[in-house]
Amino acid sequence: MERRSALQKLTTAAALLAVGVAPYGISTLLSSEQSVSRRRSLEKAKRRNYLRPPGALKDDAAFVAACIGCGLCGEVCPPRCILFHGQGGGAKVNTPYIKPEEKGCILCNKCMEVCPTEALVETAREKIDMGLAQIDRTACYPWVDRGICGACVSICPLGDRAITFKLFNQYRPVIEKGCVGCGLCVEVCPHPSVPIWVIDRPSAKRNTQKA
Amino acid sequence: MSAKRQSPFFLWRHLNKLRWLTLTTVFVMLVALPFVHLYQTYVAAHAYDLLSPSEVQIYDAVEALTAPFTNDPAEDLDAIKGNTWSGTFWGVKLSDPLAALGQMAAGRTLYWPFLLTALIPIGLSVVFGRFFCGWICPATLIYELNSNFAAWLHWAGFNPGNRHFDKRIKYGVLALGVIGSAATGSVLVAAVYPPAIVGREIYYAVALGGFGTGAVFFLGTLLFDLLVARRGFCRVLCPGGALYSLLGRYRLVRIRRIVEDCNDCAKCNAVCEFDLDPLRDNFGQECNNCTACIAICPTDAMTFTLRLTDIEPQGSGHLGRQYIREQDKQGNGT
Repeated sequence: MERRSALQKLTTAAALLAVGVAPYGISTLLSSEQSVSRRRSLEKAKRRNYLRPPGALKDDAAFVAACIGCGLCGEVCPPRCILFHGQGGGAKVNTPYIKPEEKGCILCNKCMEVCPTEALVETAREKIDMGLAQIDRTACYPWVDRGICGACVSICPLGDRAITFKLFNQYRPVIEKGCVGCGLCVEVCPHPSVPIWVIDRPSAKRNTQKA
Repeated sequence: MSAKRQSPFFLWRHLNKLRWLTLTTVFVMLVALPFVHLYQTYVAAHAYDLLSPSEVQIYDAVEALTAPFTNDPAEDLDAIKGNTWSGTFWGVKLSDPLAALGQMAAGRTLYWPFLLTALIPIGLSVVFGRFFCGWICPATLIYELNSNFAAWLHWAGFNPGNRHFDKRIKYGVLALGVIGSAATGSVLVAAVYPPAIVGREIYYAVALGGFGTGAVFFLGTLLFDLLVARRGFCRVLCPGGALYSLLGRYRLVRIRRIVEDCNDCAKCNAVCEFDLDPLRDNFGQECNNCTACIAICPTDAMTFTLRLTDIEPQGSGHLGRQYIREQDKQGNGT
């Protein structure tokens, strides 16, 4: 009897403790954990389907307002990477964009120099912010041990400030903070599903607020 | 009487040919520049061996044309770029005043470096009026050919309509375009302004492999001109034409009728692309100094003058039947 009542007391205490702790557990499960994961997914999933030319105003509405659609940036672009929004562009029709899957930007500065409005602002090469490259490590050939490649690393115009091989695990490319999102790596990637793309720079918003 | 005749400078009546030449030159440039750009991209890529046969033709043709003038095609050929909406000429940037106005409205900001690029066109418009419309606009070339085509259709027995609308509608279009640009935050006027459309669409067609939506709009304006109102878009609807008309309201260089030499044949009124009334000295702010009336006048009664306003109506021409009849009546009366 003695032992049984002790057991009973123990289970009641455990149950009370569980009930008492439950709100905290539930709240962490529901709110904080979910918000953390949501934030993470937002940061991860902001994959850009098109890039603005280098030096473009960060706020896209301001860019569309400043651009007069003259096409000069496209007309001076040596690799002809600058395309123009057509019928589907809505209010963005005739504004320039870059599709890195087709052709990346070579960061030659010509479009910024020729732009008559402030839509494209002349920017130093390292300060350009078209985005940040991201590699899908579940598909990239070296990352899944399907051979050696290094195409993205060797094409990068900014060198090891922007993309390097992983230390102690050669041929696996890693994006560094110096990446400006020119998209040449996307253009050159030989993988049929192109497991490298350009995302919005995660800290872009904070930076623009400061500046 | 013939001793008193003041004949205009003999070259004025050949200016219309010069005008066709400049219009054609601008248009040919707009077609040539995209090909030059293609050539530059091939040069920059060192890709001659990889070009397709048609690209090789472009490469060879542009190289043959430009090689005498350039050392480094990738850089030197950047000297002239763009179109009449906005372009660079040896580092000098020029923009359409409408582009400056539309961009100002869309961004609700004053960006001086850009507004200054419109300064030279504005200055020239203040002196020469709507000269852009008659002498430079790449759409004008097509529109004038289109109205020639309409005249030919008329001759051939088809009668395309020629309605008349209030010419002040275009000022409404201009105001609406500017307000719309400010409301939507994108330069809307660029989408309904034929010279901008033509320059852009030629580039899209040559360098980017196909016309955009603007081409459809431009085709619509051509049909409007052909079937509804002769030169209707420029006369009635064009927002840029409205802006240039306003700028050229007090233009210095005007066309004037020499009433002593005029015989009231009214060929000037018939030939006027903007439906003005040169026969009764009524040019207004919309004359683009195209000189077609000078060229067609059989008695050389049209000339240039430097005035800020049109001269007062001078009545019927002194070589005309009506003036002679009036003189006879007066002679009989006294």
